[in-house]
This record gives sequence, structure tokens and C-alpha cells, in this order.
Amino acid sequence: MGVSAMRRKGLHRAIAFLAAAGLIASACGGGGDSTSEPADSPAEETTSEPAEEPAAEEPAVEAGDEAEGDVDTEVVEDDTVQVSYGGSISVGLEAEVTGLRPWEDNCSSPCYNMMVAVYDKLVEQDVTGAYAPYLAESFSSNDDYTVWTVTLRSGVTFHNGVALTAQSIVDMFPIQQAGAASAGVVASSGLTSVEATGDLEVTYTLSAPKAIFPSYLARAPLGMVFEAGAAAADPDGFSMAPVGTGPFVIESRDLDNKTVFVRNADYWGSDPDGNQLPYLDSISFLPIPDEGTRLDALLSGTVDAMQTLRQGTIRDARDARDGGAAIELLESQGNNVGGGMFNMAIAPFDDLRVRQGLISLNSQEQVIEALGGTGISLPGTQWFSADSPWWSQKVAEAWPKFNFDAGVEKLNEYINDAARSDGKAVGESIDVELSCPPDPTLIAAMQVLQQTLEATELVNVTMTNYDQQTHINNALGMDNGFQGVHSMHCWRWSSEDDPTAGILAFLSEPTNFPNWTGEYADEAKALAAESGATDDFATRKALFEEIMMIIVDQLPIWYSGHTATAIGTSPAVHGLNGWHVPSGDLGIGFPSAEGRWSEVFISG
Amino acid sequence: MPLRVKFASLWLFLIVFGAIYAKLDTGLFDGKLPLQNPNYQTNGFDVTTGTFGTGTPIESMSGAHWLGTDAIARDTFARIVHGGWVSLIVVVVSAACGVIVGGLLGSLVGFVRGRVETVIMASVDVILAFPALVLLLALVSIFEVRNLFVISAVIGVLSIPAYTRVARANSLAISSREFVTAARAIGTKPSRILMREVIPNVMPTLLSYAMVAAAFVVVVEGSLSFLGLSVQLPTATWGNMINQARRDIKINVAQVLWPSLALSVTVLSLNQVGDFFQQRSAVRGSSL
Repeated sequence: MGVSAMRRKGLHRAIAFLAAAGLIASACGGGGDSTSEPADSPAEETTSEPAEEPAAEEPAVEAGDEAEGDVDTEVVEDDTVQVSYGGSISVGLEAEVTGLRPWEDNCSSPCYNMMVAVYDKLVEQDVTGAYAPYLAESFSSNDDYTVWTVTLRSGVTFHNGVALTAQSIVDMFPIQQAGAASAGVVASSGLTSVEATGDLEVTYTLSAPKAIFPSYLARAPLGMVFEAGAAAADPDGFSMAPVGTGPFVIESRDLDNKTVFVRNADYWGSDPDGNQLPYLDSISFLPIPDEGTRLDALLSGTVDAMQTLRQGTIRDARDARDGGAAIELLESQGNNVGGGMFNMAIAPFDDLRVRQGLISLNSQEQVIEALGGTGISLPGTQWFSADSPWWSQKVAEAWPKFNFDAGVEKLNEYINDAARSDGKAVGESIDVELSCPPDPTLIAAMQVLQQTLEATELVNVTMTNYDQQTHINNALGMDNGFQGVHSMHCWRWSSEDDPTAGILAFLSEPTNFPNWTGEYADEAKALAAESGATDDFATRKALFEEIMMIIVDQLPIWYSGHTATAIGTSPAVHGLNGWHVPSGDLGIGFPSAEGRWSEVFISG
Repeated sequence: MPLRVKFASLWLFLIVFGAIYAKLDTGLFDGKLPLQNPNYQTNGFDVTTGTFGTGTPIESMSGAHWLGTDAIARDTFARIVHGGWVSLIVVVVSAACGVIVGGLLGSLVGFVRGRVETVIMASVDVILAFPALVLLLALVSIFEVRNLFVISAVIGVLSIPAYTRVARANSLAISSREFVTAARAIGTKPSRILMREVIPNVMPTLLSYAMVAAAFVVVVEGSLSFLGLSVQLPTATWGNMINQARRDIKINVAQVLWPSLALSVTVLSLNQVGDFFQQRSAVRGSSL
């Protein structure tokens, strides 16, 4: 296989991964996200200290904070209970994690819960969303962001006793270049070489300026540190017996039943008071795919914690809690937003009037109600939730609201156009295949959309439900030059990761990515590329706003509501809210129902 | 007739009546009969008023909605009545396929015997060797458009082997009876014996079997619907109603309960009536 072919294969993998990561799943399923792409927020500064997220005095940042309908649980210090060592907890996950190799196994929300127990990331996000050193002691870049230097902590050992050195990171790189989950991320990051420039100093060289590079070090494919020697010796076995530097060491793994991790007695981390972490003796993860069963497991005490990405489950958990059940909920309104996309490569979705018409007929409140998310999920207007520093009031106001008459008018314009692109006779209704994965909540939402669209008597809606993999493949279009065979297709957008990478993938060339065509792509892509080359918050925010406004103009996608996620716990479980990065600052909390377990302890 | 069979018959009559009534309402009478539109979302956008309806999702029983509403504020009673139509059609088509094709085939091979019997029964055994639901899922997933015709046809075709077996067993027994031997002795043509003596005596058993098999077919269709592989939305079926309501089971268990009850009582009734007819046909058969 030639180099170009290998690159293409890696790109295809990356595309598939991005597509899969973005999909609805579950409530939408399920979704999870999580992303292959680098994490969040504004870029780092060229210092060893965590980059400052937007300055507090910047009004733009406050705009999101002040938005209506904030339903998140605030990330705060959990200092009401004295920490204590010992004990075990079990955690119910929404799905089994098929593999625990950061370079090979695509990681979503359940996977991150498990992986952060066994691996440390070089970089983590703090409570402001800024990137802070974690397993790295510091990081910095040159002036044009093409060379990044990461200094590792000293005295850290892997679970198999091997010492962590700069060479450990260098040895990971060839594996990451070939990995199914990491190859595409390596490509998109522009990472060309990783060198040991000291015992603990690693130098990353990029092919182009990338101010947001630390965000890549905060996610599994590039950021999670594994023992390359063990991985190279037995790549398949590593999936069942991972070796990292994390707070817990794997003890047993029974797929589809239980994975048990025990305390890493040699863990390097400590809490702000200097107490060695982790506190727990062991932690078990149990896949419980059925949402109701997982919640029941928490309510009955079968598990001590559970995660969910479904509004309906959050609603039921809230009801149970308000009804007196002894549980606590850590809720997060993520950037991830449900909705769907139009295949602009085919008629009639290639015509802006059709997209405008269909989106004007999307009653978000009704759809969210059908999804079970009223009072839980906020209507989406952009790739950022109202809590995100990137959220834009201007975009929120510009996004088309439900307007039946306007929708009918736009559709009529198209239908009565003799040059209409679908080849039908003037006056004939348009055909729309509305497709979602077969999740009951999505099916309910589809039917809400169908009733409104068909009420115009201008749209014939066919609803289809394919399993999640088929749903992805239909959009991916591996067999037809990435055009896909979809039309109006349920999908999810955005994540807590840094927006640049996600937007760049979204705006890839039509021949490389299935869904996106049109004149807007070049302009928006240039803006996205520009956003990755600067770490100035205000500049980046303005660029993202401009990109979102282009989406408002072109309407390749539509939104339902933002994905509310939650981790439910027994009241005896503490420390999920209010964990810390090594500097002592609060960590980002629990976005996308991803918990960090090193500071978790049991009271009483 | 035992009381339980009378109740079972009454229930089946109501289901059939309701299904036909519902079909007439949406077809011939264009929604003018007193039954709510099963697909109308009462909180949806009303074109005539230009506003959203005031219906409530997952509503409890009320005068306006006898069995409440589902997750998108549709009338559950109307959906259950309409759901009966899908079950009814699937049952009728599968029974028709089974009795006509399976019955004729089984009667023929049981009477003729020889290589024809060996080949046909071997084919039947091969088909029956596959787990029925797995085979059904595989066949159904082939079709991109899954309408009532496709679902009925697939279930109907898969019903044939079981009917063939039953018909052959009865045909074998009847073919060795005195009246068949007598017909042969007086030189009656085999085809005439088959049509006049064998098939008429196989049919009562086959029809009573059809009642019992119908119960199985209702469950199979319900399973397909639950998995989202039966007729496409928004057509109401009991299986897809259960599937869609399970999300809200903690809020309103009744929305899962009603279609489940409809399905269970129908299956129970078909079994009761089927058993009754089987006993009757067995008695009649022994008196031949």
C-alpha cells in the first residue's frame, strides 16, 4: 500500500470516526459523543501555565452565563464531607467499552469513564474550560505554534513498573500514527514528529501553526499515555489488560459484565491538601444498556453511580429524587446538540429554499417535548450551549424560528419553480426521507416533524429507521464518493472539545465527507483554519460566530435541543463534582457524563 | 361452549369489528366515524387555527381520551383499535397462505408419498430447522419498504412449512382409512380421491390449527413491531406502541399496559378458541 493510499485510509477512518462520534445514538440517543477530536476551548498561551479561558471581564463570555434556562449543576468544591480512604463503588455505564486502547478504540462517553481510571491525559481542562497540565508538568509553544514542548512529571511509573520518560511518549507515536482511532487525529493535528529533547521533555512538531494543539493532548487518541512497550508486544491483549499511569490498575475484565480496577498504590497524583490519590480501593464498571434498568440499578443500590445521555432518563431521575429517592444528580448541558442534516448533494435539498422551508417548519419546543426533554434540554441554535464561552447571542437571534407560513412560502417558491432541481412537475410535492436510528425518543420526534411537514400538503414524508451503524453508513457514502444515500438525516453536532477541529471536519471537501457541499464551505473553512492558528479568545469567538452565521445563511443542518447529560450517584459518593487539576484549580466537572474517579470517596 | 371460549370469541369479535371499523373510518368514511385519528398529535400544529393544539402527552384516562395519550399526545384508544387491523391482516394472510398452500401441499404429499414427499418434506424440514424469528428478521430486513403487504406476505410464506407438516400428518392417516381404500378399490382416480376424500377431511384439523397458529403470528408481528421491523411509522401496531411507550413507563405505565393487554388477551383468546376447535375436530375425526 502506497503512502498516499495509507493516508487516504487513515482519512477514511477519521471520517468514519468523526461521523460515528457525532451521531445520535441513543436519544438520541445515545449519544454520546465524545469525540475523536481534540478538546475544548480557547487555545493555550505560550507559557507553562494553563491557558486562560476568556477573561472574566469580557462581556461575550458572560452572555452565555446569563442565558435563560441554565439547567446545569454548578461545578463546585465538595468540601462538606471529610475525605476518607477505602471502599469500592460500582458504576453503571450506558454501553460496554469494546476496547481500552486509546490509539485503536474509538472512545465515547462510557469509554472515557473507564479509560480515565487507567490512563492519565497529558492535559486536562479546568473549570473555566482552559487547558491545564495534568500528566504533563507544563507545556509551551514557539511563537508561531508549530513546535510544542511538553515537560512530563518526574517519578511517574506505569502500572507495570516502567518509568515514564520522554521516550515513552516518543514510543507511543508510531502506534498512534497507525491506530484506527488516532491516525486521523494525528493527521488533523498536523503532527509530524515527536522527539525526546530531554529525559522528561518532549517536543511535538507540527506541519502548520496550531494554537489549539494542547486540546489534542486532552483527549484519548493523542493525550492518553499508555505503555508503548506492552502495547507493541501484545496489541490485542492490551485491550483487555491496559497499562497506563492512571489512578487505578485493571484487575479483571469480563466483557458485557464487569470490569474491575483496583487502587494504584504508586499513583503520582495528590489532592490539594497533599493526600495521595486515589481514595477508593476499587471501582467497577458495569454496562447496563437499558436506560430504565440503569436508573433502577442506582435507585435500588445495585450500583453507586450511573451515567446517562438521555433527557428521558434525567427526567425520571429528577422525578425519583424529588419523590424522595436518595440520589444526587450532576447535570451538564453540553455543546453537543441534536437535530440533523440535509444531504445537499441531492435534490431537493440542494436548493436553499427547501432547506429554509423545512427548517421553518421545525418546531423545536415540540420536538424537545417528544424527546422527553422539556425543562431539561435547551433548544439549539448553534454549536455551543448557552453556558459555553463561545455562545453567540447574534447567532441565537438569527437562527430561524418556527414559522409555518414562512415555511410554506419557501416550499411553494421551490415547488412552483419550473426549474426545480428534483425534476418533478411544477406544483408536485417534494419527497423527504426522514431517517433516524430506531430509538423510541427519536421515533417520537420524527413523528412530530412529520405531522408538521405534511400539514403543509407540500411534503411527502417517508420515515425510516436503520440501526446505528447503517444510519452512519448511509450518511458516510463510502461507496458513492461520500455523497451518502441519506436525505433528511438525524445527527448530532458539536462537543465539549475545541470547536476548530470539529468545524474543520464538518467543512471538509464534498468528496471527502459525505454531507457537505455548497459555496459556503470554502469561506467557512478558511475561517475555521484561522481559528486554529490563534489563541486569542476574542478573535476566535468572532470567527466561530461568523462560521455559525454562515450556517444560519446556508442551513445545511437543523437543531432540536442540546444534549443534557447526567451522572447520578448515591449520596454517599463524593468527589465527582469538584475534582482538581494538579495546580489545585477545579477541573472541568462532568461534561458528557464523563466522570473523573481519582478524587471520588465514600462517606459514612 | 365453555364460558371462557365465549368470552374469547367475544373479544376476538370486538378486535375484528374494531379493526374493520377503523379501516372503514380512515378509508371509506374519511375520518367521519366517531373514532379519533390515531396519528393526530393533539399538541401539534393546527393549520386551521395557526396555533399548536392544547393536548398533553402521556395523559391519563379521560373522557376525551379513554385510554390516555402517548408520548406525542395521540389518542391511545384509537391507536389500539387501529393496531388491531395490522394484526388482523397478518393473521388472515398467514392463515390463508398456510391453509391453501401448506394444506394442499401437505395433503398431496401425504396421499401421493414417494419421492415427491421426500423432496418436499426435506425442504420443509430445512426451513423449520431455522429459528423462525431469526429467519423472519433476515427476510424482513431485505425489504426497504415494509408495508402491510410485505410483512403479511413474509409471515405468510414462513407459515407454510408448519401447515404442510400438519396437513401431511393428517393426510397420511386419512389416506389409510377404509373409505379411501374403498374409493381406490372401485377405481376412482387418485386426483378425485384427493379432492373429494382427503382434503375435505384434512381441512377441519388445519383450520383449528390455524386458530392456534394465529396466536403465534400475532406475537411474531408484535415482536417485529417492537423491534421497529414491521409496518412503518406512524401506522399503529401494538408492538410499536409498547416500544414507544416504554420510555415513559415510569411516568405512565398504562401506556405500555394497554397495548400489552390487547396483545395478550388476543393471543389468549385465539388459543382458547383454537383449542376448542381442535377438540371438536378431533372428535369429528375419530368418528369418521
